[in-house]
Amino acid sequence: MNDNHILQMKQSTGFQDSMPQENVVIYIKDLHKSFGDNHVLSGFNMKLTRGENLVVMGKSGSGKSVMIKCLVGLMEADSGYIEVMGKEVSTLSQETLDILRADIGFLFQGSALYDSMTVRENLEFPLRRHKNKLGNIVDTTPMVMEALENVGLAHAIDLMPSELSGGMKRRVALARTLILKPKVILYDEPTSGLDPITAKEIIGLMRSIQKKYNTSSLIITHDVDCARVISERMILLVDGINYAEGTYEELLKSQDPKVEAFFKK
Amino acid sequence: MSLSLVDKTKNFFIEIGDLSYFAGRFFKEVLKPPFEFKELLRQCYHMGNRSLVLVSVTGFIIGLVLTLQSRPTLIEFGAVSWMPNMVGISIVRELGPVITALICAGRIASGIGAELGSMRVTEQIDAMEVSGTNPFKYLVVTRILATTLMLPLLVIIGDAIALYGSALVENLKGDVSFQLYFNKVFDALEYGDLIPATTKSFFFGFTIGLVGCYKGYYCKKGTAGVGVAANTAVVFASMLLFFVDFVAVFVSDIFYEL
Amino acid sequence: MAKTTLENLRLGVFVIIGTTLIVLAAYLIGNRQNMFGNTFSISAVFNNVNGLQSGNNVRFSGINVGTVENIEMINDSTIRVNMIIEEKMLKHIRRDAIATIGSDGLVGSMLISITPGLGSESLVVPGDELKTQSRLVTQDMLSTLNITNENAALLTADLLKVTQSLAQGKGILGKLLNDTVMATSLEQTISNLEHASKRTNSMMTKLNKEMGRVNFEESAMGILLADTISGNNIKSILSNFETASKEIEEVTKDINSVMKEIKNGKGAVNYLTTDSTFVNNLDTTIRNIEQGAQSFNENMEALKHNFLTRGYFRKLERRQKKEAEKNQN
Repeated sequence: MNDNHILQMKQSTGFQDSMPQENVVIYIKDLHKSFGDNHVLSGFNMKLTRGENLVVMGKSGSGKSVMIKCLVGLMEADSGYIEVMGKEVSTLSQETLDILRADIGFLFQGSALYDSMTVRENLEFPLRRHKNKLGNIVDTTPMVMEALENVGLAHAIDLMPSELSGGMKRRVALARTLILKPKVILYDEPTSGLDPITAKEIIGLMRSIQKKYNTSSLIITHDVDCARVISERMILLVDGINYAEGTYEELLKSQDPKVEAFFKK
Repeated sequence: MSLSLVDKTKNFFIEIGDLSYFAGRFFKEVLKPPFEFKELLRQCYHMGNRSLVLVSVTGFIIGLVLTLQSRPTLIEFGAVSWMPNMVGISIVRELGPVITALICAGRIASGIGAELGSMRVTEQIDAMEVSGTNPFKYLVVTRILATTLMLPLLVIIGDAIALYGSALVENLKGDVSFQLYFNKVFDALEYGDLIPATTKSFFFGFTIGLVGCYKGYYCKKGTAGVGVAANTAVVFASMLLFFVDFVAVFVSDIFYEL
Repeated sequence: MAKTTLENLRLGVFVIIGTTLIVLAAYLIGNRQNMFGNTFSISAVFNNVNGLQSGNNVRFSGINVGTVENIEMINDSTIRVNMIIEEKMLKHIRRDAIATIGSDGLVGSMLISITPGLGSESLVVPGDELKTQSRLVTQDMLSTLNITNENAALLTADLLKVTQSLAQGKGILGKLLNDTVMATSLEQTISNLEHASKRTNSMMTKLNKEMGRVNFEESAMGILLADTISGNNIKSILSNFETASKEIEEVTKDINSVMKEIKNGKGAVNYLTTDSTFVNNLDTTIRNIEQGAQSFNENMEALKHNFLTRGYFRKLERRQKKEAEKNQN
């Protein structure tokens, strides 16, 4: 029932003077979110610039997923300021939000493929509402094929998700995220539930895609290996705030016990 | 987890309130374009055609059994010639709609509850929303509309097959021709029987779809949540069906003073 | 996409079957109520419709030809029933047809039954009002039966009274049995007879005188009568007359004696018993009874000897002996 919350995000005029620069894709300031007495986010700040790979790391239940859902308007924050590509998410109407969402790719934790549809239908699904962006296309097959080839699964086009392995599912989900050629991709635990080899494959795919389409990526994970490979910059989310920030190497050297806890094997 | 009676009552009213809100949202969304016509057809097929065999078999057996069971008593009263009237009216007015609806509550409501529940749990509903498709419209509105539209058709087919089953018994045991049987059935029936029953079926369909979608859409996280959603969908839908039936009979009694 | 097409095809078939069934059911029900097809309407006025409802059948000579469209109350004792009748019946129903309200079997629903009249009147036209007849519904039949029952009860009560009064000698039958009127009328008849015979006697003497005179006079009549043959004939006739009157006198005497007997005796019943056949019958009856009693006695005797009942009769015998002894003492 989270999408029914009537709570409106407080609009603080104090943020107007600190408007983000041109090349900032995602800007989060002082984000608060709580479920009952459980304060998940209590003043989280973040900035994602164009073409950047940012990893947000945190333990499970630390509010990473909540933060990323607030970004695309799946959840409403209690308070705080979220701006994606120059638009304040909480003030958008449903139509403009949908247009904005077309520029944001979202890879869900468990792939979230539609069980009742074939791979092709899964990939065609995001095209249904975003045909305006792509012009009037009658035949979607070339787009579907292109997206599938990017993840190396062109042969699986008419299979059902139940016939795919976990890794294949993740790749199809990635293809579905890519089909609208988003400017920014949000990855929610891209390697969770996968064996290390498949995880590496996925990470490799993520990197190649970023190079090919020059997208910005926000990766939410608790997997240190993943963070090491892909991150250009990292944010450690602890106790609802951005506890530490820096490159993987910088954070690895940190003496802070809470930071060290992340890198302990 | 043992809740106190007060909490249970409170939860019940919260549930009714949420369901009403959910129904209100359905009516708000159903009139607003864009319409998911293709998905509606798909759901109609899944709910209508796929339930047809089940409804037909149960309908046939109900007609058969009702006739066989009433025969001795009617013979005792020398009123066996009233069998078509009795069976016709009881099936068209009450048994047909209620039994079909209960079967569909078992089949469709649990199906919807489980399907939407698992979609919620695996974030497919979120994925839809992010893809720019209103999941409420795409998943909930189409399903509720499909059950609302399909149930009356299932009911009338179930009625027809139940009457056929009854006529078969009368034909074999009582030497009543099919023509005479159906002549008598339609002699006994009036619009006051058919119209309320058909209208009632629409509400039954709506109830099944609504409860199934509500339980699935607000499914709790985890695989256990899906099972709970499917289970409670059937229980809640069946309970609500009887309540709707009661109200429907009450209202139709006012409209058609019989 | 082939799968979707097939699904849609099947869905289409399903929807069409379902809708057809609904429409068919609606049509058949409507057809029963003559909502479709060519119809006309006629009406009939009743003072009691016995629970007739709109939608009930209308039958003409037992065939379902229409339904009751509506029932309107005109005033407290006049109810107009409008009926919808199939148009093809227009050429069969005449103005003298009579509408009655009946029921389909003892417990069936009510219906209007139109019975053809003599067939002399012209055919009905739409909007006509048919003659009606209040009918015997089951309830009416039962109430009539009830009245009959009550009457029967009254009759038996009366009968009881009559027989009682008969026994007490009251009423006509009683009088008959106890003679008063009967006896008086009998008396009167007898006196009439006496009177008649007296008059015959006086006429005879007059005639005799006349005849004597005719013999001596020389008239046309005298000549005629002087003729010996005819004179003898007349004499024989006269003597016949005399014997007849004598016989009448004897009958009267007889009757008189009977009457006296009746008066002295115990009424008509007594008279009846003087009838010999009756007496004979009585005799034989009594004889039969005697015979019956005899055979009963024989039976009893046989029973006495039966080993099963022997004991009982012996006991009986002993007791009788004892009683006899007591009496002697």
